[in-house]
This record gives sequence, C-alpha cells and structure tokens, in this order.
Amino acid sequence: MQQLLDLVKRAHASGDYQPLVDLIPYARILGVQCDCYGEEIIFRLPANPDNIGNPTIPAIHGGVIASFMELTALFQLTLQLPQPGLAKIIDFSLDYMRAGLDRDTFAICEISRQGRRVGNCSVLAWQERKSKPIAQARAHFLLDTGVST
Amino acid sequence: MKDDAYYHARCSRFLEAQPHMRTLGIGLIRAERGKATLVLPVQPQLISADLDTYLHGGVLTTLVDAASSVSTLCALDAFELCPTLDLRIDHMRSPVQSQPLYVAAECYRVTRSVLFTRASVYQESPDRPVAYAIATFMRPEAGVTDSAFRAMIEGGTDAATA
Repeated sequence: MQQLLDLVKRAHASGDYQPLVDLIPYARILGVQCDCYGEEIIFRLPANPDNIGNPTIPAIHGGVIASFMELTALFQLTLQLPQPGLAKIIDFSLDYMRAGLDRDTFAICEISRQGRRVGNCSVLAWQERKSKPIAQARAHFLLDTGVST
Repeated sequence: MKDDAYYHARCSRFLEAQPHMRTLGIGLIRAERGKATLVLPVQPQLISADLDTYLHGGVLTTLVDAASSVSTLCALDAFELCPTLDLRIDHMRSPVQSQPLYVAAECYRVTRSVLFTRASVYQESPDRPVAYAIATFMRPEAGVTDSAFRAMIEGGTDAATA
C-alpha cells in the first residue's frame, strides 16, 4: 500500500500517471494510456489488433471497452482520493451505444459523488467525437482509504 | 433442436475467431441449449506480484461479456451476431489471482429483437459466487450478420448437415 501511495504522490508531482496505470496487469495488456490536460485526465485505448472481438467489422471486443471504462473509473477515483488506496468495485453498469471500431478509443470519468465509503462514477467512451459516444457506464466503488473499519 | 456437441463446436469456433479471447486464453468448458460456461485460466500476464493477491481491474468484466455473448449462441438455432446492449455486474467478493475464474452464463429469454442473459462468476465453487451479471443483446436484422463469418462459426459445409 505504501508503494501505491508513493506512486500516486510521484504521479501528481510529475503529471505522468502512466506508471500507476502499468501497475495493473490487464491495463498493460489492453495498452491503456493516460493523458493529462490541466486537471482533466483522458484515458486512451490505442487501436490494438489483440483487442478485437469481432473480426468482420472489425470491432473492439465489448468486454475490452467495458474493462477500459471500468479501469478509467478506478484510476480517476484513485487519483482523486485524498488518501489514495485502491478502490474496490461494487457494481458496474454499461450501455453500449455504437460499435467500437478498430481505432483509438477515449474515455473520461466524472466522479459524481465521493462519500466516505462509496464513490459514484460515470464514464463516457468515444472514438471520433465525444458527442457520439460508443458507450456510457456507471459504477460504484468501495473506497479503501486505509482507515480500518 | 441442436445437440450439445453442436453448440460446443459453434461456441469454440466463435471464441477462436476473436483475437482478444486468444490473448487471454479464454476457453469453453461446457455448452448446452441456452447455457455456456467459460474459464479464464491462471496466467502470469495477469498477475501483479507487487500489488497484492487479488485479480485486478476489468478482466472479469471481459470474461462476463464474453460468456454472456456465447450463451446467446446456444439459444439460437442459426448463428446471429448479437451486439451487447447493456451489461450490469455486481461484485460480491474479490477474485484471487491464484485460481482460474469461471463464468456460467445462461440466455434465459429470446424475443424477436432482444436476448436476455444472466451469469454467475466463481472460483473454487459455484456456491461461492464472486460476481453476478445480467445483460441484454440485440438481434441483428435479417441479413446483417456477415455471411462469411456466419459460415466460419457454423463450421462451413459441416453446419448444413449437423
């Protein structure tokens, strides 16, 4: 846990959040990237032939899009916690709106509420433009702020 | 009505056709009318030695989406490529890295336009679920599923005689 705290601190100082993302094996497999624009963090899933689910369109695997969005929420929450700890997912609900084509996908997460124990997140994923999302998700996370309960 | 071996072959081909399923080594354990069970084997690429012993971030979601989708293949007489409309997962406990992850999915209702599925995720025993999931899938309009892809999943000429 100390290692995570140090990584978050270092990431905040340098503005480079990639080491934090790379801590999660599946995020590395998917190739999740993290770009910081001022206070806004946009997560990017670069086009990757290994992420294809439907080879005929071709389209990104639906599960990959879902996982990418879940990871986006997890990272956003972890970075925003005053006392960083890995948040634990409680539930995840996703609407698929368009096929995710074989190109870069972007996601942004808004923390709609962060209580003492639970964080409410909504995530939007898009490809060519944000106003044409490919999916939107809602998630609840249990916050582990290192305080024993 | 097709037999279980038929569904098993169809689902295996469907998984093999998806690069990401191969990346994760997701395999089919059982397929029968309306139901399918998939496994995510333990693998070094998913293990984070320095974080802790839990399986982290999203890979369960991918497995659930895959299993739910495969269960729809077991509920339809002819192969139709049905995109996911909605997926909801409730996580009851954290899965450990050291054991395979199983998903038993069932397509419990088929309508003209929509398929409904439910799935449970477990590790050591189906009686101790790690997560539950429900999903809905849209059936494509006639002729939308790519015919070459359909032939591949149905096993080409074998499918016509099965």
